[in-house]
Amino acid sequence: MIATKNFKYIFLIYLFNISYCLYEDQIGKFDWKLNYVGNVKFGTIDSTKRVIVATEENVIASLSLKNGQILWRQVLENPALNQIELLHVDKEVITVSGGKGTWYVRGWDSSSGSLLWEWSFYMENKQRPYWILSKGQLVHIIPVLGSHIEITSYDVHNGRNNGKTMKISTPWVTDLSKCQTAGVYWTCISTNDSSGQLFYTDMLSSANQVRTFPIQSLIGSAPGHIEIKPLESGDSNLFLIRNNVARLLKLQPEAPHVYPYSLSDKAVTAFNGDQTLLLQTIQNSPTNKLTIQTIELQEGTENVFEMDYTNEAGVANIVSAVCKGTACRIFVKSNDNSVSLLQLPGGKVSWTREEGLSQVVAVEFFELPLSELDASIEHEFDSISGDIFSTFYNRIFSQIRQLLVVLSGQQGDSNIGMVRDEFGLHKIIVVVTASGRLYGLDSMSGNIVWSQYLKGVEGFSVLGKLSVPLFVQRSARYSPLMAQCAALMKDKITGHGVMYTFDPITGQSIGNIERLPYQIEQAMLLPYEDDKHMKGLLIMSDNYEVMVYPSSAKPVLLKHASSIFFYTAGSKSKILQGYNLVHSTTDSLKATPTWTLNLGPADLIAVNVRPSSERVHSQGRVLADRSVLYKYVNPNLLAIATLMDDPIHKQVLSIYLVDGVTGLVVYSAAHKRVGKPVHLVHSENWLVYSYYNARFRRMELATVELYEGPTQSNSTSFSSHAVSQLPHPQTQAYIFPGTPLAMLATLTERGITNKHILIALSSGAVTEVPWAFLEPRGPHGTMNMEEGYIPYIPELPIPAEATINYNQSIPQVRGIQVAPARLESTCLVLVYGLDLFYTRVTPSKTFDLLKEDFDHWLIAIVLIGLIVASYITKRLASRKALKLAWK
Amino acid sequence: MCLKFVVIVLISFSTTAFSSNVEYDGWVNINLQHSLTFSDKPVFTDRGNVTIQSLRTGTAVVQQKPLTQSDRVKLRDLSATNEFYQLKSTVTLADGSEISFLSTVKACMLVESELNDILSVSLDYSGRVIAITLAVASTSTCEGAVVPIDKLKEFSTSVFVRHTENGPTPDTATYIQKLEREREAKERGDVKDNRSFLAKYWMYIIPVIILMVITSATNPEGAGAAR
Repeated sequence: MIATKNFKYIFLIYLFNISYCLYEDQIGKFDWKLNYVGNVKFGTIDSTKRVIVATEENVIASLSLKNGQILWRQVLENPALNQIELLHVDKEVITVSGGKGTWYVRGWDSSSGSLLWEWSFYMENKQRPYWILSKGQLVHIIPVLGSHIEITSYDVHNGRNNGKTMKISTPWVTDLSKCQTAGVYWTCISTNDSSGQLFYTDMLSSANQVRTFPIQSLIGSAPGHIEIKPLESGDSNLFLIRNNVARLLKLQPEAPHVYPYSLSDKAVTAFNGDQTLLLQTIQNSPTNKLTIQTIELQEGTENVFEMDYTNEAGVANIVSAVCKGTACRIFVKSNDNSVSLLQLPGGKVSWTREEGLSQVVAVEFFELPLSELDASIEHEFDSISGDIFSTFYNRIFSQIRQLLVVLSGQQGDSNIGMVRDEFGLHKIIVVVTASGRLYGLDSMSGNIVWSQYLKGVEGFSVLGKLSVPLFVQRSARYSPLMAQCAALMKDKITGHGVMYTFDPITGQSIGNIERLPYQIEQAMLLPYEDDKHMKGLLIMSDNYEVMVYPSSAKPVLLKHASSIFFYTAGSKSKILQGYNLVHSTTDSLKATPTWTLNLGPADLIAVNVRPSSERVHSQGRVLADRSVLYKYVNPNLLAIATLMDDPIHKQVLSIYLVDGVTGLVVYSAAHKRVGKPVHLVHSENWLVYSYYNARFRRMELATVELYEGPTQSNSTSFSSHAVSQLPHPQTQAYIFPGTPLAMLATLTERGITNKHILIALSSGAVTEVPWAFLEPRGPHGTMNMEEGYIPYIPELPIPAEATINYNQSIPQVRGIQVAPARLESTCLVLVYGLDLFYTRVTPSKTFDLLKEDFDHWLIAIVLIGLIVASYITKRLASRKALKLAWK
Repeated sequence: MCLKFVVIVLISFSTTAFSSNVEYDGWVNINLQHSLTFSDKPVFTDRGNVTIQSLRTGTAVVQQKPLTQSDRVKLRDLSATNEFYQLKSTVTLADGSEISFLSTVKACMLVESELNDILSVSLDYSGRVIAITLAVASTSTCEGAVVPIDKLKEFSTSVFVRHTENGPTPDTATYIQKLEREREAKERGDVKDNRSFLAKYWMYIIPVIILMVITSATNPEGAGAAR
């Protein structure tokens, strides 16, 4: 018995091995990975070779000046809690990062990126400190309003404190927005107009002398709002900005020196030998080319260069620049978060990195259109007139065309790459970034096919996550008609909805960007197509009016008005409300409330619905006694997770499965003493969710599977109104030895293939867990091992072979998106976070594909050999029979 | 959130007893109001009261007035035009606060069930009402069966209080026990299999014998034919 059990385990391991492993020569064959550094916060051109950047994603990296490639990259702690506050590039790279009182000071080797030294410290005071680095001393400054500033300096290499915290009396610090550090000086202005005073004091000198100058005496007494801003790369330099015109001040122990130039507050300095150059962008309209002005600080010689750089996202800011003689290299960052390296005096763009792609918020896969040749074959069958001559003509015509194409040896189409392949593996991936740029990526290579920038828009904040809903209104299947996709966003200022419709294949906008005159409460795609195969987009405004786009979809909607249901989930009111459209008339669409679910004080943390394109292949599962347990497959089921603070159990996670049509709570369960992060995956008749168990301090996965029982209530088609029986839930929980950042179930064309759960871990791996491992065993599972149930193990294994991204770690994963290929066995996966990783997974192996190393020659030779042999033996046999007959 | 209606027989509500995990027992009073004309601004009229005396046990007292003649006609008309019947339930909690819930069913289903309905009261883990849903427990279908109007007199409502179960937890105890048992079995040493060689491996031997018999049976014949 034990032997057989062991054998089973071996068999399991064996299964793992054959199902997931990737051979070394298959690396990069089905997958690609694009590496990014994130939204650049600080950047310094270090030498002629590289630029060191620190980003909002808490990443420090070095980019090659030659081609923009990442020379090295270090991903630090979680960017939601930790941020890089100081980047200093000298012989080594020094960073100060952290947050919430914990600070890490690190030194990095600038050529290799290896960590040289590190120390950290903890401050009781959670106030965000100011940092300066001067002469090997790291100075930590905490201002106390109206009283003093506390200055503590540390030896930057080892964190040795000089003994005490120095306090400088500064009763003139009243508002931190009016104060700055400029080199070693702490400086403030008393009021935001010309009548104010400028105070500054040297923080490192023991004299503690405070200098005071009236602003009038420095920059004159014109009216206007005055602000101060330090010069990023300058020592003791400070901008005094009035009406968007900045004046540069050099703070000195005696009196500040004021330079006579009118600058923009985004100017930077670059050192050219012993000269100091000021660089700023002057003319920067989106359509025109970027123009850069250089000013020699001492002599005042000005030069203007026109750059060969245009970006419709507008305003490119100089992050850092370095000059040698007349040649300068300028590192700029644009509004869409892309960074470029420009060269002076030629004005050429050396390279551009689309760093916006490190902040993907929405992803959708799109099928490509048929090639022209295939389309012409399809059109042959379009004409319904059964006229024999015209059909004959069509046939001959298209065959001649095919012949011509074959003879000329090329497809006549210009965009030759972007056509549908045989197995539907080649798709276009539309991604939306947080900065408002849309990209079309080729799924085969990851190359950017098109990109489009939308100005002044941002995503919606849904359950604490930035999201931009993408709706596939028409796929590329209906050949002469263009594919159409709609993206919904909101205006940055008014918060009103913005709808952008475009052709996902070419990225061309269809019509104008529609600025809707209301805020969007809920949006959904109608499941019904109009006569042009267009699915309407239903939008509910913040005052509960319903609109449908395009308006041509309205008759279709009215036809089905009594069977269209939707819901809204208010994160503030904590009420889920169901609606239908029964009372809609041709004049106006009306949403009528039909059900309510009141979550009370609980916080809604996740809502999940099954993917609309998902198909459930099998209706039930066959038990050992040959009876069938039917699945409860409700297409209208919503999975909801709420978290509530509780005096006894700290936090309670509740999971509800709610019917979206009637509002009936089909299943509910509560987990006590658990917390975030919570991820939900809802597919077929089951739900998987992960949570943190605060009691045992571990991550757990729980699964719920719903069965109708041995009889199926409505077998032909499902109706939520016919509640004949509540489903029987089966549940099971597992310990998960990892921290999930995102979870999703695989999706295939017909749903025959097994389901796997893709889990992105905090370690950078994306692992596949087969549903068979997670399936609740229930009462029938423990008894009947022969049904194919895997014995229950409380702690799920994470085998290294199940990692779909092998050794290519993906840090800070934000989400996973899947799409079915036209090949049943294959599911396409895009994992997005700081990096983009694309691959295919085959949960049931490639059962519908021949192996790559399948020997076509061998089988052909064997077949031919057999045929030849059979003919020869036939001849031989007849000869023998003849000879026998003659005997 | 949409689908085609295919209204099919409604047999019975699952009456599985839910393991009660309400920590504090309490009572809930539900005031039922219904709308017999389906418009976008429904007018709710009084239907009755439901008092759940104990949330833990789910015992409920239902008091509902019989429908008036005009209400019956309205309900029948609602059913005839395949409209929706709406129910507004206002919950008065033990502390006096009120929450109202909305629920909608197809009027024809209600009529054809002769006003036999089910009120599902869903509670969260602490025993707070989160949803009240009306469903119809009837064997009739919405096929337009004519129901005499005098049968639409009194609601017979069954109330089901549905608690939130405790979610699953990883079952480490049984697994450790199982491992323990296996270890013990190993320590005790495998029980010596006293069966004879033939008794143990008969399933492997028999096919071999059969194969041999078959081959020996066919061979002489084949040889004979060849001669």
